[in-house]
Amino acid sequence: MNASAITKTLWSLQAGDAVRVIGFDDSLPERYRVRLEEFGFHPGENVECLMTPGLGAPKLYRVSNTVFSLDDDIASCVLVQMAVSPGAAL
Amino acid sequence: MNKVLLVGSPNSGKSSLFNRLTGLSQKVANFPGITVDVTSGSLLALPDVELVDFPGTYSLQAISAEEEVAVEYFRRALADPEVRHVLCVVDATRLEKSLYFTLQVIRDAQHHGKLITVLANMADIIDRNNLTLDADALAAEIGAPVLMVSAKSGSGIESIIDRLRDALVREEVSGGRWSETPDALLRGTAHQLAHQHGPRGDVLIQSQTRLDRFFLSGFTGGVAFFGIMLLLFQSIFTWSAPVMDAVEALVGAVGSVVVPLIENTVIADFVADALFGGIGAFLVFVPQIFVLTFIIGLLEDSGYLARAALICHRPLRLFGMTGKSFIPMLSGVACAIPAIYAARSVDSQRQRLMTYLAIPLMPCSARLPVYALLIATFIPDETMFGGLLGWQGVAMFSIYFLGMLMGLIVTGITHRISRVVADDLPFVLELPPYRLPGLLPILRNAEKRCRHFVTKAGKVILSVTIVVWILGYFPNYGADLATSWLGTIGHFIEPVFEPIGLDWRYGVAIISSFLAREVFVGTLGTIFGIEDAEDNMAPLVDQIQASGLPIGSGVALLVFFAIALQCVSTLAILSRETRSWKIPLRMAAAYLVLAYMSALGVFYLVEWLV
Ligand SMILES: Nc1nc2c(ncn2[C@@H]2O[C@H](COP(=O)(O)OP(=O)(O)O)[C@@H](O)[C@H]2O)c(=O)[nH]1
Repeated sequence: MNASAITKTLWSLQAGDAVRVIGFDDSLPERYRVRLEEFGFHPGENVECLMTPGLGAPKLYRVSNTVFSLDDDIASCVLVQMAVSPGAAL
Repeated sequence: MNKVLLVGSPNSGKSSLFNRLTGLSQKVANFPGITVDVTSGSLLALPDVELVDFPGTYSLQAISAEEEVAVEYFRRALADPEVRHVLCVVDATRLEKSLYFTLQVIRDAQHHGKLITVLANMADIIDRNNLTLDADALAAEIGAPVLMVSAKSGSGIESIIDRLRDALVREEVSGGRWSETPDALLRGTAHQLAHQHGPRGDVLIQSQTRLDRFFLSGFTGGVAFFGIMLLLFQSIFTWSAPVMDAVEALVGAVGSVVVPLIENTVIADFVADALFGGIGAFLVFVPQIFVLTFIIGLLEDSGYLARAALICHRPLRLFGMTGKSFIPMLSGVACAIPAIYAARSVDSQRQRLMTYLAIPLMPCSARLPVYALLIATFIPDETMFGGLLGWQGVAMFSIYFLGMLMGLIVTGITHRISRVVADDLPFVLELPPYRLPGLLPILRNAEKRCRHFVTKAGKVILSVTIVVWILGYFPNYGADLATSWLGTIGHFIEPVFEPIGLDWRYGVAIISSFLAREVFVGTLGTIFGIEDAEDNMAPLVDQIQASGLPIGSGVALLVFFAIALQCVSTLAILSRETRSWKIPLRMAAAYLVLAYMSALGVFYLVEWLV
C-alpha cells in the first residue's frame, strides 16, 4: 500500500500543498459549483495552494496557469484529495 | 453596416485588441431594447465594418441578474441580421480559463448561422517563454479557426483582417458540431481540450508568485498596501486641488469678462451666479474624476487592484461588501463623485449597492469647511494632558470617525436584514499576472469618464443650481435673502429645526448646502451679513457665538452634516450609475431621517450633559 488518500477541503490546505479536486460539498449552491468548474476547479483537476496570507484573507490557488483567490465560504466547499506520497508514509 | 461581435473572458486582452483593431475610435453601440453600455468602433482596416465590444464574461451561463443582462444582450446581438461574424478572444497562455466560454460562444454562433473565429491572444508571451500552442490542432478539435495574435506586439492583426474580409463575401453557415450540445458536456470537453492543448507555463506562474509573496504577505504586503493607498488618497486630495482651483478660477475669470457685458442686472446676476456658479459647481469635480480614474486604471492594469481587493476582503465582508469596495470607500473620504464611479469595479450588483450606501457617509472634503466652522464656534480652543490633546482636534477626529463608522453600521445592518443571496457572487477572484500598464488606453478611459460625468450629471447639477438661485433671488432681486422665497421656505420649515434649537437661518443654509455642503458656510455668512465667510470664518464664528446658539445645537448640526446626503452631485451620479432615481432618492430620504433623528438625540444628550 503506497498511496492512501485523505479527503480535505481546499480551505484547509497549506501553502505548497498539491491536491486533486474530487467534488463539492452539497451545501454549495449549484450555480457556484458551475462557476467553479468553469474556472477550472473541475473534478479530477490538480490544484496547488500557493499562499495563505493569513488573518482569514482569501487563499491563493493555482489551476493550470491561472491563479485564483477563494475565500473560506467557497474554498471550504471544494473537496480535494491529497495523495500521501510513498516517502511520507514510510 | 456589417457588425462583428468581439467577446472574451475578463483579462483575455479583449479591450486591447479592440483598441488595436479600431484605433481607439469608440462610440456607444446601440442594440434595440437593451440598456447595457457597449462600445463599438469601425475597423481601421475595413471602415465599413463595425466592431462591437461586449462586456467580458466567464460564461454564458449567467449566475447573477447582471450577468443575465449581458448574456441576454449577446443572444439578441446574435439574432441581429447585420451581425455576420463573432470574434472570441482567449488568453492563449491560460486556455483552461476561457475554453468553456469559447465552446459556448461557438455553439451559439453556429446555432444562429454566424461565422466564428477564435483569437488566441498573448502570442508574444507564448513566444517569449518558448511555450507552444498548436493552433491548427486546437482549431480542428473545436471546429473553428484559431488565429495566434498579440494585441501588444500587433502580430497576427493582419490575419484577423484577412479573415474578416473573406467573411464579407462568404455565405452564412448553418449547423455545426456543437450546436445542440448541453452546457455540462461542453464543460467537460473544454476541460479535456485545455489539458491536451494548453501550454504548460510554470515560468509564468513563478514570477507572479514571487511578487505575490511580496505584495500579499504580512509585513511587506502591509507596507506596500499602505503606501499605495496613501498615494491614491494624495492624488485625489492634494494633487487634484490645484487643478480644481484653476478650473474655478477659469470659470470665474470667464464670468467676470462676460457678466459686465450684460446690461440687464437680473440677467447679469443670473449669468454670474446661477449659470457660471452651476457650471463651476460640476466642472470642479472633473480633475478628481480624471485623476482617480487614471490611478485606478494603473492599479488595475498592473494587477495590483485584485491584490488590494484580496487584502481588504475579510473585514469588509462582515458588512456585506467585498474587498473591491475598499478603494471606492477610501476615495469617498475625498469626494463621493469619483468614488461612485470607482465602485464600477465591484462586480456583484448587491455588493455595489452596499458600497453606494457607504460612500455618502464617508467624511468627504466638502464637509470640512462646515466642520471647521462649527467646531471653531462651539468647541473650546483648549487643550488637555498638558497640551498634548486639543478639544477641537478630538472633535474633528470624532466627527470624521463617526462618518466612517456610520457607513459600516448602515451597510452592516442593511446586509443582515436584506439577506438575498440570489444575487451574490461568490468570492472567486482571478489574480491576473503583474504587468506594466499601458498609459494611453488608461488616459483615454479617464477622459471618457469625465465626459460621461459632464454630459450626464452636469445637466442635473446645473438645473438644481438654477432652481436654488431663483428661490434665493426672487421676489426682491437678490436684495435680502431673509425675504426671498428661500427665506420664506426657511421660515416655513423652522418648526422642523426648532427642536434642535435652530432657527430659519440655519434652515436656509441647510437647503442651499444641497448644492454642495460647503455652501452652508457662505450662505450663513450672507444671512449674518458677512462677506466671504468661506475664506475668513472668524467674524462668522463671533456672530454665531454672540447669537447665543446653544452648544447642543452646534454638535447636533455637526452630526446632521456627517450623515445627511445633501449633495445634488452625488444624487445625480448615483441615478446615472444605478439607472434609476428610486435608489438615490430613497437613500437621500433615509439618510435625512437618520441624520435628523441622530441630531435630535445628540442635542438632548449634550444639553443634558452641560
Ligand atoms: N503581453 C501581452 N499583454 C497583453 C496582450 N493583450 C493584452 N495584454 C495586457 O493584458 C491586460 C488585460 O488586457 P485588457 O485588454 O484590459 O483585457 P480585457 O479584460 O479582456 O479587456 C492588460 O494589462 C494588457 O496590457 C498581449 O497580446 N500581450
